[in-house]
Amino acid sequence: MSNIVKIPWVEKYRPKSMKEMALPTARVDRQRVKLDQELINFINKFFKERERVNKINAEIRVFNRTAIDKVQKEEEKILPENAAVLLEGPPGIGKTSIVYALANDLNMEVIETNASDTRTRDSLEKKLKETTKSRGIMDFIVRSKEKLILIDEIDGIYGVQDRGAVPTIIELIQNTQFPIIMCANEYKTNLQPLYTKVRRYEVHPLSKNEVLKIAQNILKKENITNINKEALELIIDKNNGDLRGIINDLQGIGQINLEEDINEVILNLHRDNLEEIFSLIRDLFQVTSLRDARRLTDKSDVDYNFLYKWVNENLPTFIKSNSDLAEAFENLSLADEIFGRIRINQYWSLLPYFFDLFAGGVALSRKDTPAPKGFHRVVFPRYSTGSYYSLTNTEKELIEKINMKYEISPIEFIQNFLPFLKILCSTSRKQLKNISDWLELDAKEKKLLK
Amino acid sequence: MTSNIPIWRIKYHPNTLDEVCGREALKGTLKLFINQRNFPHLLFVGSERTGKTTLARLFSKEFLGENFSANFKLVYANVPLTSEERKQASSEAYVSTSKIGSLAGRKITTPAFIQVKIKPFVQLKALGDSPFKILVVKNFEALGADQQGFRRLMEKYGSNCRMILITSKLSGIIEPIVSRCQIFLISRIKFENFKNLVKEITEKESLEIDDEVIEILFRLSEARISRAIDLIQLSSISGKIIDNDKLYEIAQTFQNDMIRSLLLISLKGDFLKAREITRKILSNYKYSSHEIFKLLLDELSKIPLSKFARCKLISLIAESDFRALDGRDDDIQISSLIAKICLFSEYL
Repeated sequence: MSNIVKIPWVEKYRPKSMKEMALPTARVDRQRVKLDQELINFINKFFKERERVNKINAEIRVFNRTAIDKVQKEEEKILPENAAVLLEGPPGIGKTSIVYALANDLNMEVIETNASDTRTRDSLEKKLKETTKSRGIMDFIVRSKEKLILIDEIDGIYGVQDRGAVPTIIELIQNTQFPIIMCANEYKTNLQPLYTKVRRYEVHPLSKNEVLKIAQNILKKENITNINKEALELIIDKNNGDLRGIINDLQGIGQINLEEDINEVILNLHRDNLEEIFSLIRDLFQVTSLRDARRLTDKSDVDYNFLYKWVNENLPTFIKSNSDLAEAFENLSLADEIFGRIRINQYWSLLPYFFDLFAGGVALSRKDTPAPKGFHRVVFPRYSTGSYYSLTNTEKELIEKINMKYEISPIEFIQNFLPFLKILCSTSRKQLKNISDWLELDAKEKKLLK
Repeated sequence: MTSNIPIWRIKYHPNTLDEVCGREALKGTLKLFINQRNFPHLLFVGSERTGKTTLARLFSKEFLGENFSANFKLVYANVPLTSEERKQASSEAYVSTSKIGSLAGRKITTPAFIQVKIKPFVQLKALGDSPFKILVVKNFEALGADQQGFRRLMEKYGSNCRMILITSKLSGIIEPIVSRCQIFLISRIKFENFKNLVKEITEKESLEIDDEVIEILFRLSEARISRAIDLIQLSSISGKIIDNDKLYEIAQTFQNDMIRSLLLISLKGDFLKAREITRKILSNYKYSSHEIFKLLLDELSKIPLSKFARCKLISLIAESDFRALDGRDDDIQISSLIAKICLFSEYL
């Protein structure tokens, strides 16, 4: 075949500019936004902020040099929400591409780190901190290209190898001299501190029509005629909107000389990320037998610790009627109980029950609800038991002050003592004054009591 | 001095073991420990806000005497580490290569929480003439899998530091730890003791309250002294006499109506909305699942329902609460309860 090209099509057809790419839809807090406009605004705002902050800091530094130690001023920093954004969404829908296209459009250089690098604290620091903190000597002479930092696959930061990476990234965001864009597929609890600091964009897959157009365009350019429209749709369905997967499949099929049934070939195409969590959840609610459910959980290497929380979060999306819901949750809660016993008592032999209950038991509870058709949005587990414990700074300070006179645990304070104090203080001004005087509260803390 | 404290629950907070209301048998045992200058590891089990921590603190204070501040530490097992503490844990995770032994240059796998919060304290020798230090760990069951690591510490440093573990879920604690401790069940305070305490306080504040009202106060405050004192203080603002109406009215203001709306919406069968409310409650008030179930149960008695429906709902709540004891994800157990109530509402 004449059209075999050495570079993968995914790279070959990676869009060079945002104008020529099909932009995925994005949402912030459920509000639909235009991703390209948002990103350009973000970059522009960042550089404006940086100029302002650097100017102030230069003055502060001059001041600090002349002033004595006691009156030293703190240098200002760019707010984390202006310094970094996070793009979240399933794989292969163009998160990385849009960043490169953006950089190309704005004539910037991309510094990338992804899951293939070990991201320990040290290595991250080595790679990124130099570029973020200081600008090269040459920058003062020639105005060189501005840089854009891309931390790809940030949810791949995991476990022991990448220990300490999350705090480093947070520190990085606070000190950066260049805008940072992060990409992620999954919700991870260990990234929680990061989520609260930056703006998060939910990126959604392209619509089927758009994907079809892109795929047909590629086929035309590559002069491939043996894939008809139906086969193309089959490939697209199989990939659930993963454009990268579709292009890879096309290349795979286009390069084989096809004599056998093309549909058979398509169905047998297997890719590693096929069992990725989003499609796994979708598939799980399609199964009709316990064996299929087992096969799914066996095949996937998604951490089961995590998977059953996904099932919990997405259950109401797929199962609608109250009777089905109740049965599904009955199974899920029993699974959770069993899992708890396994972990406490080390009864690992109970694990098969856990799997069958949370996967099969839940999926097969669907009786009244018709089988889910079409595309359903799978969402990250938004609630995790560990994260309910979070207090604001004022609350913390108030607790500290009270603890000097009266030992009380933070939880008890919030649930029990604070409501009482509020009622007491609302009865009269004098009460409020008495209490705040006695506890030596400042205005901010006083406001909390009102 | 004490009369200047504007918050009564702090004003009447016990300062010595003797001042603790009731619990004569327990106090006797603890005093015996103090006289013998020795005691085993202790495990205090009892429902929330019954005074377990106060007891542990006052006991330690009297046991340690003037060395109290140096030899005592209170740790909350359910409070996660801050980012600095986590950093510290990861930097200490390696044994220096300059050390001799098979561990040199290796990574050690002590859980971060124990490494940062507990080890530094238990490793150092007790100061002064105290025979050992005292470490109090609250909500011990929240340590989860880290309990295995804790158990080693109890053996290794047991002679240097005694532990008082506090929990409300005995089933959340692994066997080996339970077997290393002397268990004290701390029940709710008895009505007689409660009555005496209330009388004492009202006398000091020159308030009027009769026995019948104290009984209602006992019920409204669920035998929790701090809550009872709060109620007394609030009712005292509008006059010296404390009567039923006043108490009920004030207890009402404490009520939070989110729990009620959660129950009502579940009974209407709207699962998604009910789940949303639950999460809001959890994030605002930071309740544990057990507390939510308990509040739902209380709320249930206040809405009109048939006997049959009430029994059925109580059994549903009980089942979920029971499962949450062993379960690992509170959200699943609460969602499951809501789903079941939603289904049940269709038969009402």
